[in-house]
Amino acid sequence: MAENTDKMVIDGVELTGIWKEFLPSRILYEDVTTEFLDEVKKLPGGSTILKCYQCGTCTGGCTLPDFVDKFNPRRFIDLVRRGHYDILVNENKDLVWKCVSCQRCTHRCPKGVNTQEVVRAIAKFLEDRKVFGKLTNDEAFDEVFMEEVIEDGRIDEVKIVKDFYSKTGRLKDMMSADQLSLGFKMLTSGRIKLFGGKIKDWKKVSQRLKEELQ
Amino acid sequence: MKTVLVIGGGVTGLKTASELAEMGYNVSLVEKEDYLGGQVVRHKYYKLAPDLRLAGDVIDPVIKAVESNSNIKVHKHSHVVSVSGSAPEFKAKIKNSKGETEETFGAIVVATGFDHFDPTVKQEYGYGRFKDVVTNSEVEEMLNPNGPTKGELKRPSDGKVPKKIAIFQCVGSRDRQVGNPYCCRVGCVVSTKQAIEIKEKYPDSEVYVYYMDMRMFGRGWEELYGKAMEEYEVIFTRGRGAEVTLKNQQLSLRAEETIMDRPIQHSVDMIILAAGMAAGDGTIEAAKVLGIKQNDYGFLAPKDDFLSPNESSKSGIYIAGADKGPMDIENCIVEGAAVAAKVAGKLKN
Ligand SMILES: Cc1cc2nc3c(=O)[nH]c(=O)nc-3n(C[C@H](O)[C@H](O)[C@H](O)COP(=O)(O)OP(=O)(O)OC[C@H]3O[C@@H](n4cnc5c(N)ncnc54)[C@H](O)[C@@H]3O)c2cc1C
Ligand code: SF4
Ligand code: SF4
Ligand code: SF4
Repeated sequence: MAENTDKMVIDGVELTGIWKEFLPSRILYEDVTTEFLDEVKKLPGGSTILKCYQCGTCTGGCTLPDFVDKFNPRRFIDLVRRGHYDILVNENKDLVWKCVSCQRCTHRCPKGVNTQEVVRAIAKFLEDRKVFGKLTNDEAFDEVFMEEVIEDGRIDEVKIVKDFYSKTGRLKDMMSADQLSLGFKMLTSGRIKLFGGKIKDWKKVSQRLKEELQ
Repeated sequence: MKTVLVIGGGVTGLKTASELAEMGYNVSLVEKEDYLGGQVVRHKYYKLAPDLRLAGDVIDPVIKAVESNSNIKVHKHSHVVSVSGSAPEFKAKIKNSKGETEETFGAIVVATGFDHFDPTVKQEYGYGRFKDVVTNSEVEEMLNPNGPTKGELKRPSDGKVPKKIAIFQCVGSRDRQVGNPYCCRVGCVVSTKQAIEIKEKYPDSEVYVYYMDMRMFGRGWEELYGKAMEEYEVIFTRGRGAEVTLKNQQLSLRAEETIMDRPIQHSVDMIILAAGMAAGDGTIEAAKVLGIKQNDYGFLAPKDDFLSPNESSKSGIYIAGADKGPMDIENCIVEGAAVAAKVAGKLKN
């Protein structure tokens, strides 16, 4: 930030030393680059990002902004193209994923951008760069769920709860008194079973699935 | 001395005809409607951008120059139905309700102009569904004291003067969804002009223009844009109109305010769609009858855009004005004069 404010004079007042601390530069010192655009455009669904002329029709009609503050497909595209990677990660990484694929943007885009696909591609781009760090509960649950489906072809209720708590580093919480008593109640009322059955020959399907998803 | 056939009696065709006639050529001017003046007269343009001078001050002398020149034969309500032969001797059949005549011409000039884009297909804007969503050409008619509302801007739904008015730019232009990726070239200046006219007449009204770029490249256009902001307090918002809905009986628009990075919902009393220019049916008809080339959007294609801008793909057939693509009146008049000079030079030798 603000390397060039060392000798800053405004209205004849020299704003060095302690004053400088109060006046951080508002200029974006960003290592802007088209590198990210280059990456996104090569991802599945990302190629039409180049067509965007920033009209805002997508954001103007998007389903999400009524519910998700600052969700803005036009801006995601803009940040990628301008190479404002830090802003994309710091302010938008938790938003991009929330697109509900309603396709309003794509149907209305006057420029022929497949906006929904581009938003997806940007999310994938961020995921590939591992910017998400610690998983949110939702994301952790999704992952555990998918892993289990691929591995066993079905969901084992007890196992998924255990894996979910372990993935979010909260195995201790699972053993708390109220969780245990809830689990016991569900077990005795037949809501959950202790051991799920196995699906015949799932191993082969599982193998193929894993190969496909590679 | 050879006779020239001019097809289309808009400002371009009129200028072409009168210039040729002044040079001593005989002209047959064929116009499909029963009036001369083209879109300017059809939609009763009142004041012209950028000077806000009366449209009549421009179009009336051009019409008069044609009607008062005995070298020009005007065929109103007529069509050219077939053309045979080649330069410099064409035979054309001209048809009207009374019958068909055949005449011989040394050259043909096509000045069949454009049609206003019909915004019904842009369903999200609600034109045709919501009465108070209107087009810029309907506004031209309203603002004319001799128009349907006697010069008052009135909401079609209840006849009241709207207080808050939004204008959507680029309707049917710069839009691949409708197959018109080109810029309409006049929408920006026309909307700015209309905003000023509205504010001048109704100082208490509020006018909001939703745009992507304000393209103000013509003579005096940028100055008009400045005037709209500074003197008339027209509000220009950078964001293309996304949709129009009805909320509690009031029109409500959505767009993104791109400078603020957020969508806005805005309640207004009337929405004007700056509908662009499309190749007209008359132009497409003429291209077919004459067998001349059109571009991807239906407009007439010059033989060479740089080197022979007024020659069609066929020798002896010339093109001028808004049938080549969106064009303002000033340039149409230049085109009319240029094509007349070109034809005169060709027929001389
Ligand atoms: C809402 C709006 C406002 C505008 N305001 C301004 C302004 O303020 N200032 C400005 O400079 N420009 C303005 N323009 C642009 C202006 O309308 C055009 O520049 C001008 O009308 C073009 O003239 P033209 O003669 O080439 O075509 P046209 O005006 O379209 O005339 C073509 C004529 O040919 C006839 N014709 C078509 N096909 C045939 C056929 N096959 N046989 C016989 N006759 C045929 C038509 O009936 C018509 O009379 C505006 C445009 C719009 C859309
Ligand atoms: S609607 Fe299309 S062109 Fe407009 S900002 Fe969105 S993606 Fe870009
Ligand atoms: S597909 Fe996603 S980005 Fe597009 S309008 Fe729907 S929610 Fe918004
Ligand atoms: S002239 Fe203006 S309104 Fe017309 S297409 Fe171009 S930018 Fe849009």
